[in-house]
Amino acid sequence: MSPFDEHPRGALHAYLDGELSLEGSLEVEGHLESCSACRRELETFRALRRLLQAAKPAAPEAETALMRVARSVRTRRRRVYAASGFGAMAAAALVALMLIPRGTPGIVEEVASVHARALDTGRTVELASDDPAAIERWLSTRLAEPVPPTAGGDGFALRGARVDSLDGRQVATVVYQVRSHLVDVFAWPSSERDMEPRPSVAGRWTVCRWSHRGVAYWMVSDAGTEDLKALAALIKERRT
Amino acid sequence: MDDDSREFERFARPHAAAALRLARTLVRNEADAQDVVQDSFLRAFRHFRGFSGESPRAWLLSIVRNVSFTLWRKRERDDPGDLEPALEAEPDLGPSPEARLLEACDAAQVHAALERLPGLHREVLVLREMEECSYREIAEVLGVPIGTVMSRLSRARVQLVKELVGDPRSKN
Repeated sequence: MSPFDEHPRGALHAYLDGELSLEGSLEVEGHLESCSACRRELETFRALRRLLQAAKPAAPEAETALMRVARSVRTRRRRVYAASGFGAMAAAALVALMLIPRGTPGIVEEVASVHARALDTGRTVELASDDPAAIERWLSTRLAEPVPPTAGGDGFALRGARVDSLDGRQVATVVYQVRSHLVDVFAWPSSERDMEPRPSVAGRWTVCRWSHRGVAYWMVSDAGTEDLKALAALIKERRT
Repeated sequence: MDDDSREFERFARPHAAAALRLARTLVRNEADAQDVVQDSFLRAFRHFRGFSGESPRAWLLSIVRNVSFTLWRKRERDDPGDLEPALEAEPDLGPSPEARLLEACDAAQVHAALERLPGLHREVLVLREMEECSYREIAEVLGVPIGTVMSRLSRARVQLVKELVGDPRSKN
């Protein structure tokens, strides 16, 4: 008994699209011979296909976009992108990654790309909160050793937190805002000795690392080096 | 770096127009569509060296799709409800000669009718009928099983015929 004593439905489309095995095609054809409704349907969809193919628009602008991208990644010169705009964000992130001098530890690139990805995807915080206690509770359900966040102040507003993967471990990411800039602060327990905050510019991003009493920090933002220094000082000062 | 970018051009050029056409079906205006394509190329450039899949086209188009949705979320902040197709039983096409009615339609009518379809229907039609992607490639672009591609495509075709020549059941 043929499987297509009933109308083939989906298989009719797969037949039209050349997606059936030889055996399947023969079964559909067998059905078509005896079913005028399905023949008419097939004829309709073939006409629809011709219509859609005839209406396929040219897209010469795609070539322009490709050339623009190829050119932008070819030049190593530092480029200034408008701070706003969807297109600028990804472009800036890419250029930032390429401008980081070779030989610097891979973690700088990782920090920058985690930050760029958060901005790219619009997923800047998983928990939006300005309450350090609430953020600490949230982090403690996700990390074995969460570093307690520091309250905002001195022009830095606490915006919330995420958990990111950095340098092969899960870290607490606390997000602050200064003026229109978001700052990601990554922190994890570490045995390295204390180290002063030293902001540096890596392409579009400013990054800063320091260690303080058993905690390693990385910070990344499109804010300036002075901003990052100030936030690092605030975080150090408020650790009791 | 120069070599990278030239190699990337060779990798992406054959699929550039398809990328823009898909972007146009997913975002509302031409400027956004071109931004989406440019961002997609940038992302693709970052990762194309590690590409090891079967179809560079499907991979590029899936990036275009993700970037389009990111843009949507940024712009609209709420669910793209328009994307969800209404689930309907396939209509019995009845006796009217749709094929001949379709022959009489022009490109402008086709584009207007596509615009009225839900996004999920629009994209699957564009991928299949204009870009001539295989079911497997479409499944990869959309991130759904092949069976879903088939059923979505069949609903989308029925829906588009209805938009172009009217619901045969509403006529005499």
